[in-house]
Amino acid sequence: MAENNLSNKIRRLRFENGEMTQQQLADKVGVTRQTIIAIEAGKYAPSLPLAFRIARAFGVSVETVFEYVGKQS
Amino acid sequence: MNRAQKISLTMVITFLLGLFLGIILIVMRLFDLGVPKIAFLLPVCIAGSGGIISITCFKKDKGAIAFDERDKLVEKNANLAGFGAVYLYVILMSFLPIVILGGEASIPVTWCPVLLIGAGFCQAFAQSIAYLIQYGWRVKDGGE
Repeated sequence: MAENNLSNKIRRLRFENGEMTQQQLADKVGVTRQTIIAIEAGKYAPSLPLAFRIARAFGVSVETVFEYVGKQS
Repeated sequence: MNRAQKISLTMVITFLLGLFLGIILIVMRLFDLGVPKIAFLLPVCIAGSGGIISITCFKKDKGAIAFDERDKLVEKNANLAGFGAVYLYVILMSFLPIVILGGEASIPVTWCPVLLIGAGFCQAFAQSIAYLIQYGWRVKDGGE
């Protein structure tokens, strides 16, 4: 899949939240572990509902987890 | 590796094996090495065995969530790739006989089901390649 323009802090947030594993996060937000790996690596841009679920899993806002790093239009 | 990746990899391997064997048999037949027509069923069976192996050997992934939005997107793109490949195959097979044999030539009607089987293989191969490309070829996924 194509690279996306989103950077994320999922890895850091996982460790800050009691060293949560990718599987635990995946189960919490309702996706497969492979999808969490792909999002963390920046290989997949999650849908808006999934982005919100991930942010909610950490108890932070979406902007804290994801940042748009593409060109400004 | 998830189930779709395993199936795709099996399909690609068996298809390439069948194709390789088919090319060898065609070359042997061209050089009159006494290859009977029935021998051509072997590469077809090998190429088709990928589907049977996939159904019998790869059971559904364990765990609560086995299919999510990313898998859905990958599946959609793979289906599109398969459809595109068949479309190209039909175009190719419509013009290739004219180019090779000429406008006045004729081909046996028994070729029609063969072309249909070819379209099926073409679709399955393109779909499998699309799956593998989108999920990534590597088995190691960098997970924890």
